[in-house]
Amino acid sequence: MEVLSQVVAYVGLLIEAVILVRAMQCKNFAKYSIFYTYLLTVLVTSVFLQIAYHTVSKPVYGRLYWPLDLVTLALGCGVIVEIPGHVFARHVSLKRFTRWVAITTFGAIFLAFAVHVVFLPHWKPVANPAELERDLRIAQAIPLLSIVFLTGYYGIEIGKNMKGLILGFGVYAGASIISLTLGLFIDIERSTVWRIVVPLSYTAALLIWTVALWSYEPAPASPPEPTDVDYRRLAGRTRQALGSIQEHLDRTPDR
Amino acid sequence: MIQLILSLLVGLVLVVSLYFFARRAKPSAEGSAQKFREARQTLDSLQYGLLPNDLVERIFAREDLEYVLSAAPPDVQSLFLADRKKVALGWVRRVRAAVFELMRFHRGHARLHARLSFSTELRLALNFAGLLTACRLLQVTFYLRGPYAAPGMVRTAAAAASRVCSISENSLAFLNVKGVDPLDSGAARHGA
Repeated sequence: MEVLSQVVAYVGLLIEAVILVRAMQCKNFAKYSIFYTYLLTVLVTSVFLQIAYHTVSKPVYGRLYWPLDLVTLALGCGVIVEIPGHVFARHVSLKRFTRWVAITTFGAIFLAFAVHVVFLPHWKPVANPAELERDLRIAQAIPLLSIVFLTGYYGIEIGKNMKGLILGFGVYAGASIISLTLGLFIDIERSTVWRIVVPLSYTAALLIWTVALWSYEPAPASPPEPTDVDYRRLAGRTRQALGSIQEHLDRTPDR
Repeated sequence: MIQLILSLLVGLVLVVSLYFFARRAKPSAEGSAQKFREARQTLDSLQYGLLPNDLVERIFAREDLEYVLSAAPPDVQSLFLADRKKVALGWVRRVRAAVFELMRFHRGHARLHARLSFSTELRLALNFAGLLTACRLLQVTFYLRGPYAAPGMVRTAAAAASRVCSISENSLAFLNVKGVDPLDSGAARHGA
């Protein structure tokens, strides 16, 4: 199982390098700058950790792993804030709402972390980093869910690049949440099979990103926007209709 | 334990949502002639096919029940009730489907607007959900207690759905023809 973990780790590094080289080749780096910065950071820290693991010592690797993981996690949060800007490029209100959800959830987690560090001197973040990682993954899942829900509710078309980005992040976040939660509560981390789940889900995310980001695809064109007056009329009439229907149904039990 | 359940729930909901997200078909172009035609057909089907007073009264006519109960043998009575139940369930299913279509129409057009009012959209979403639930309750009532269990509810649902039609009809008109104020027609005051 140790060999398999190593193979998965090396395959991951290779795919990350492929995605980054392809981005530079196609001049896509600037288009999804936070995402590629995130990936570059993950690649650099992974290589650094691999070197530390094999050449320095395992305790050094253990000490470095969680702080570096938290840096990449924070950058991952940045990617999730970047996604609504592309998905809802033509929908100011939805973009604002999903960004607000993302910033609020990340802010709450980081604030709780800061409060613990400042006011509880005996509390050591490295003592239970898995819990913090799980909380941050949940914080990533909430804005992702709001994006997925809103695009489905309004039937907003998403380009191949963004769809892949959301899917990849979602698969990795979902697998991490389930795995970390079970690890914290049921102590399944000792199971060798289970320990490979998160690295495998990350490899799956990388493969999704490779396919989705192989070439740049601009956001699908949408029809011209009607005026604000049209929207107010549409919303007003629909609300009026629903109000009357509700009123009728509310009165029914009295009959 | 609550933390365990909530965390697992978030993870599972995310995975399931992504499954449907990945399988989602490309949305059709709103504002196209095809969409307007479909919305028009839904309205016509509701207004002229499902909601006219005489049709609703015919389906749920109490006189029919009273006549069958007084004049027919028990096996004919149960056959009559089973048939009426089927008709009533079919009717409410179609009304619900049509209301659902109208909701899709609203969402489809709302998405064309860059600046949506979040509170308005939230209220509308909740109202649509409430209305669809009410229709579902009607279905359950018919299924469990027969077609004559909630006559008042049928009448009011039909009247209200008819009102929705009138207003949606105006929505369709103003979306097609700019500058027409549908409130002038007084259609919103119409009942079933």
